[in-house]
Amino acid sequence: MREAENNRELLSALADGQLRGAEFAHTVQWLGETDDARLTWHAYHLVGDVLRSGETMASDRDAAFVRRLKLSLQREAVPTLPFSATDSIAAHAENSGAAGLYEPKRGSANQSRFGWQLAAGLASLAVMSIMAWQVGDWRNQGAAAQLAQVPVQPATQQVASGAQTPIMIRDPRLDSLLAAHRQFGGTSALQMPAGFVRNATFEGAAR
Amino acid sequence: MSAAPPPVRPAAQVTDGDAMLVERAVAGDQGAFELLVIKYQRRIQRLIGRLVRDVDLVEDIAQETFIRAYRALHQFRGEAQFYTWLYRIAVNTAKKFLMELKRDPTVSHSAAQSDEDGDETSWPGNELISDETPESVLAAKEIATAVNDALEALPQDLREALTLREIEGLSYEEIADLMNCPIGTVRSRIFRAREAISAKVKPMLEKQTGKRW
Repeated sequence: MREAENNRELLSALADGQLRGAEFAHTVQWLGETDDARLTWHAYHLVGDVLRSGETMASDRDAAFVRRLKLSLQREAVPTLPFSATDSIAAHAENSGAAGLYEPKRGSANQSRFGWQLAAGLASLAVMSIMAWQVGDWRNQGAAAQLAQVPVQPATQQVASGAQTPIMIRDPRLDSLLAAHRQFGGTSALQMPAGFVRNATFEGAAR
Repeated sequence: MSAAPPPVRPAAQVTDGDAMLVERAVAGDQGAFELLVIKYQRRIQRLIGRLVRDVDLVEDIAQETFIRAYRALHQFRGEAQFYTWLYRIAVNTAKKFLMELKRDPTVSHSAAQSDEDGDETSWPGNELISDETPESVLAAKEIATAVNDALEALPQDLREALTLREIEGLSYEEIADLMNCPIGTVRSRIFRAREAISAKVKPMLEKQTGKRW
């Protein structure tokens, strides 16, 4: 008798979201075992609804509604458990000494996602490989294009001096001409229609 | 009553218990989900009754709402109150139901937008929904009268504790502060108040629905 009253007090606290750990596990288990407990649970919430609304909220079809829904739910698969929630419940059950009663179904927590993750990883790898190959190919092509743009120097203008560093030999008159016209330095190259001059710049020191 | 009036706040339930029941349901305990159904079925049916003109559909839509909620239960993260989450499912289910039937969803826009946090009892026109018989309407009114009479007959401390909890929506800690007593005493007073009222109500419920739950 006293135990039943204690259980109902726990049920009242559960209705208010006040139970944790072992008390929570015990009370929910008790609710699942006895119709009277569920009727009490219904009555407590009904009282609350009536007090809040100030009007009638009771229905003689409440129990029938739950029974009908129960039949439908029995055909439903158990909703998949998120990993964090599994851990939480496992810890909760462990703390409450009820681990055996509420064994979480951890095996299938991310099973449905694993195939997609594998496929997505392979697809990403393939895309990266193609991109890397294309970039490498482009670089090679770019280097070839740059080489193609290098002007061919007339052999007569280069003298192999020790075969190491090519030296441009310029007419001294050109140097004096450039020195006399440095005011045209805004242009980097003096393109004169002289037959003997191909390119001449004022940046003599760099040459 | 204490001298200081309690702060006014919506009559919302503490939802930690709901979240814990959801966790258990997701872990495979269907009975935990049924407890949530028992708790919220009346509010959900009343909500749907506001959205749908055809009262014959109310129970079907409510059933579908809970089935959808069960299927999506693993997506409930506890960021919102469980009832708020359920509310949205109910509204969407009602709209979808009516669209499929090619009927006009007689959705009261203001009703659908207002009060998502759960106090649908504040809506105007608080009449009973569903196709209840005059006998069942009378029985429901008798239950409401019994609840209110039993509340009035309670000792002051029990009545105050239950009122602060159910109507004002205060937590046990807040009630303990207001009533200047330990939390354990609050829990005991609320329980005894519920017991006293339920003692009047349960025979009526058993007469209506039987003991089979």
